[in-house]
Amino acid sequence: MSEPLPTPDTGPAPLAATSRRAAGARFAVFWGAPPALWQAAFFLVPLGFLVAMTFWSVKNFRLTPDATLANWMFILNAGFFRSAYVYTFWLAALTAVIASLAAFPAAYTLAYKVSPATRRFMIFMLVVPFFTSYPVRIYSTQIFFSPQGIINTVLVPLGLGPLQVLNTPTGTVVGYLVLTLPLVVLLQTFALANVPRILIEAAHNLGCGRFRTIWSVIIPSARIGLIVAGTFAFVLAFGDYVAPTYLGGSRPPTLSILIADQVKSGNNWPRASVVAVMMIVTLMVVMLVMIGLAYGRRKERA
Amino acid sequence: MATPMIELDRVAKHYGNQAAVADVSFVIEKGEFIALMGPSGCGKTTTLRMIAGLDEPSSGEIRLWGRRLNEDAPWERDAPLVWQSYALFPFMSVRKNVEFGLKQRRLPAPERRKKADEWMERLGIAGFAERGVDQLSGGQRQRVALARALALEPEMLLLDEPLSALDPHLRVRMQSELVRLHRELGITFICVTHSHSEAFAMADRVVIMNEGRIQQIGAPRDIHRRAANRFVAEFVGGNNIFTGTARVDEDGSIALAGPVGTVHAPAPSDGGIVTGAAATLVVPADRIELAAESTGAGNEVQARVVTVEFVGSTVTVFLETEGGGELRAQRSLHEMENTPLAVGQPVVARWSPQQGFFLPS
Repeated sequence: MSEPLPTPDTGPAPLAATSRRAAGARFAVFWGAPPALWQAAFFLVPLGFLVAMTFWSVKNFRLTPDATLANWMFILNAGFFRSAYVYTFWLAALTAVIASLAAFPAAYTLAYKVSPATRRFMIFMLVVPFFTSYPVRIYSTQIFFSPQGIINTVLVPLGLGPLQVLNTPTGTVVGYLVLTLPLVVLLQTFALANVPRILIEAAHNLGCGRFRTIWSVIIPSARIGLIVAGTFAFVLAFGDYVAPTYLGGSRPPTLSILIADQVKSGNNWPRASVVAVMMIVTLMVVMLVMIGLAYGRRKERA
Repeated sequence: MATPMIELDRVAKHYGNQAAVADVSFVIEKGEFIALMGPSGCGKTTTLRMIAGLDEPSSGEIRLWGRRLNEDAPWERDAPLVWQSYALFPFMSVRKNVEFGLKQRRLPAPERRKKADEWMERLGIAGFAERGVDQLSGGQRQRVALARALALEPEMLLLDEPLSALDPHLRVRMQSELVRLHRELGITFICVTHSHSEAFAMADRVVIMNEGRIQQIGAPRDIHRRAANRFVAEFVGGNNIFTGTARVDEDGSIALAGPVGTVHAPAPSDGGIVTGAAATLVVPADRIELAAESTGAGNEVQARVVTVEFVGSTVTVFLETEGGGELRAQRSLHEMENTPLAVGQPVVARWSPQQGFFLPS
């Protein structure tokens, strides 16, 4: 365990050690620079441009550099933006919760109850959905839920249908789950597999049964990974355009649909940029809160 | 005969076609301090884990007060374990760790708190109650692990290499503390260790295992004086082991012609050694005296000092006989100071024939 090692004070570091450290730093810079440059060129610069554009204006359908707050005032005061914001946040949060809950039994089984060979195979199977592009998967889901689709063909003769999923918020959430569930299962499986087995045994040894152990030892131990998995689901769902368009029928619109609408009707890039910046800020806040939740010291003690 | 507390009856544990425990039977009485000892991979830890229910025997039966225990889940047993790496819950305070088992037994919070306080006090960790376990030293963590287990007031305590992860000076202190706790609590302690000095210092009885089988069970003293076989004689250390050709003398005692010359020892009670047969004689190193001159009594071997090793307050002197045989003698530091020995010095190694014993062939 991590005993603090006494650091002997030997005065200034010997020259050899200093130059070795400098060489180590050069090595890190050399290999770290390309991804950093890539991020700067294709993430930071466009982000800066996006923020700048929120202050521009559109004159005669032409984008004109400007320094106006009109776009911000318009969007933040618009009822359609506010309701879309609440709606998108709510559906993404719902997706994160449903995906987390639905994934847990599967992740638990993969982490603890199957042989390593089966686990490897199942992890591979969870990666398979990412082989096909996401819109393709959403189209096939659309076919499943269509009035003449497989699901209703089975349900209607049983008197249980027709099930109206397409063009409803349920459809959107189903689409979000298609997107996020395999990833959440994967992340949760890794999180659970990293829980030291000895802690689970210690809990059992102290009289803690299987289900109580999940709650009192496994979840607290895997907390970081579980929160990261749920946060990932939220982030992916919050920004998704495909599911709300093709399964949710764009009604009510999510923020991603609002962006597309602003651009398509009237070429209003600045207003679309305001929505986009609001989304980025929201995701950042959510991430910060979740990271605080994951790594924060527990407040309850004693 | 009264039912013993714990019985292991022909217990085996196989992983594939690998036997971690091949065939183990022994009984443990209430209040005993038992040490399971052996080299790594001998099956001692698996045996302990089967008693705790963390591993299930492949065959055989484990009984507690005569009742079959094999199918009981670990959480249905009353056998808390203290792990070598402590296995404390890192996301809980010291107090929460100590209260963990009590909480599982649905003890109301005020009682839980009181009991945890008592045990933390008793183990000298009351001052750390509200700290996280990652802020503690190894020795303190061990005390938390002990408090967590003992707070359940179990009828047995299982210890897996409890001293291995501690600093040497803490190890000795913890060793006597475990002995004291055992005496005060009067419950059964079952302790796994690879160190014979730990096992012999703490346990009432020692179970020596090798390759999944029991080699010998007995009080430390008996094992030291009468190793059951060559493995035990070598593993407990401090023994001279001579293999040679036996000759039965007229008085029934046996002379062994071996690497250190011809030496004498009483015949084993089960007989079994005939003239001309190969036999193995064990002479504990602490029974060998070193003298400057021969007196003609007992077994005497001329030798020269090769090395002198100081271990604590005992000194092991390694000798070489004229014929090239090796011999070791143990002396106290005190003796060593009175009659110093120099490397290369010729000495007479002497021991009474009664001090040697033959291993069963």
